Amino acid sequence: MILPRERLLELFQAYPRDRRYALPLLQDIQKQCGYLPKEHIIEAAGYLGVPLSRIYAMATYYRSFSLEPRGKYVIKVCDGTACHIKDSKNVLETLKGLLCVGVGGMDKDGLFSVETVNCLGACALAPVMMIGEEYFGKLTEESITEILEGFRKREAVVAGI
Amino acid sequence: MNIQIDGKTCIAEPGESILETARRNNIDIPSLCHHEALPGLACCRLCVVEIEDATGNRLVVASCVYPVAESVTVYTNTEKIKKHRRTNLTLLAGHVPEVKGVLLAYCREYGVIRDDSHMKAVVKEKCILCGLCVTACEALGNSAIQMAMRGIDRVVAPPFNEPSLNCIGCASCARVCPTDAIDCESVSGNRKIWGKTFSLVKCAACGEPYATVDELDWLKGKLLDTELNLAYCPNCRRRVSVNTGK
Ligand code: SF4
Ligand code: SF4
Ligand code: FES
Ligand code: FES
Repeated sequence: MILPRERLLELFQAYPRDRRYALPLLQDIQKQCGYLPKEHIIEAAGYLGVPLSRIYAMATYYRSFSLEPRGKYVIKVCDGTACHIKDSKNVLETLKGLLCVGVGGMDKDGLFSVETVNCLGACALAPVMMIGEEYFGKLTEESITEILEGFRKREAVVAGI
Repeated sequence: MNIQIDGKTCIAEPGESILETARRNNIDIPSLCHHEALPGLACCRLCVVEIEDATGNRLVVASCVYPVAESVTVYTNTEKIKKHRRTNLTLLAGHVPEVKGVLLAYCREYGVIRDDSHMKAVVKEKCILCGLCVTACEALGNSAIQMAMRGIDRVVAPPFNEPSLNCIGCASCARVCPTDAIDCESVSGNRKIWGKTFSLVKCAACGEPYATVDELDWLKGKLLDTELNLAYCPNCRRRVSVNTGK
C-alpha cells in the first residue's frame, strides 16, 4: 500500500533531517505499508538528505525489510537447526501446495506471504512457524491446513461475509 | 619518530599507518583494498605484517590501518606473513573465477594457483567486495553505488539496480577496482558504466576522449575557479596553462 503524500510527510516529520534517523523512519514506513515501496525510499532519502544508494543499501541489508509487497499475514517458517531436522522443508512444501507460493512470495489474494527465518527461539516445538505475532508449533500437514483455514475464516468475519 | 621496518630505520609521521610509512621508505607491502587517497577499509588482509613490541611479543596486524608507534619493530616478509598472504590470496582468488587486475599480479607473485577442487567460485563473479569503488564514489561526493544485500547475495550496486541519477560516468570506481570487476566500455564516443551511457568529450588539443559530458557539467558546478579550462584533458591543460601563463 502506497501512502498518500500527507501521511508520508507526517511520518517524516516525527524525525529530524539526519542520517541517523534513517532506520527508524524505514521501520515506520514498513509498518504502515507492510513493505518499503520504492517511491517512499526515494522520498525518505531526499527528506533525510542521505544518498539514495545508502538508504537502498540499508533497506536491502535488514531481513525485516521487504522491497516487495507482502501479504496481510506474513508467515515466518523456521528453518533453524532444530526445525530443519524436524523437516521444515515439508512445512514449506505444504504451504506451497496450499497457497501456490514459494519462499518470498505472496498469495494471489494478498492475504499471506511466506518467508523463512533462522530459529524462532521455540525449538522444543519444532517445526515452528509464526503468523503475525502468533506461534504455531509441532506442525503437520493437517495442522497447517487448519491454521490457514482459521485465518481465512477470521478474515471473512472481519469482511462481514 | 623513528621505527624499524625490516631492519631499516624509517621516519614515520605520527598518526600514519605502518603501510604508509613503509611505502614512503621504499619498502613494499602488498595491498588490495588500500588507496592512498581513500580511508582504509581493511578487508583484504593482504597487507598483514608482524609487529614486535618492546617485550618481544609478536602480533600479526593489518598494516594499512595499524597506526605507527615508536616502540614497535615491523617485519613485512617473514615466512609466517607469506603463508598468511598465500592463504588470503587463495581465498580471494577462489571467490572469483576469472582472476584479473592487481589480484592476478599478486597471485603470480605469491605462486597462488586457483584450485577448483576445494572451492567453487561464484559464477561470473569478479568482485571481491573490497569496497574501494564505493568509497571512491563517496569521496567524490556522488555516492551513486553502495554495497547492497547481505551475506552471499552481497553486491556493489546502484539503488534498485537501476541506472543512478547520481552517477556522472567518471569511471573512478572502475579505476580503483583491484580486480577489474566493474564493466566500463568506451565505444564510438560513448562510455557505458553501471547500465548508463554517457557521451565522451574529446580534448580540444590532442583529440583523446578524456571525460563525460555529465562529469564536466558536474565539475563546472563544483569549481570556483572558472579559469580552469575544461576543454582540454588534464595533460594538455597543464601544457596550455604553462604556455599561456594561465
Ligand atoms: S562512474 Fe558513477 S558510480 Fe563510478 S565513481 Fe563515477 S559517479 Fe560513481
Ligand atoms: S567492484 Fe572492485 S572495487 Fe568495488 S568492491 Fe568489488 S572488487 Fe572492490
Ligand atoms: S530452530 Fe526453529 S525455533 Fe529454533
Ligand atoms: S590493504 Fe590492508 S586490509 Fe586490504
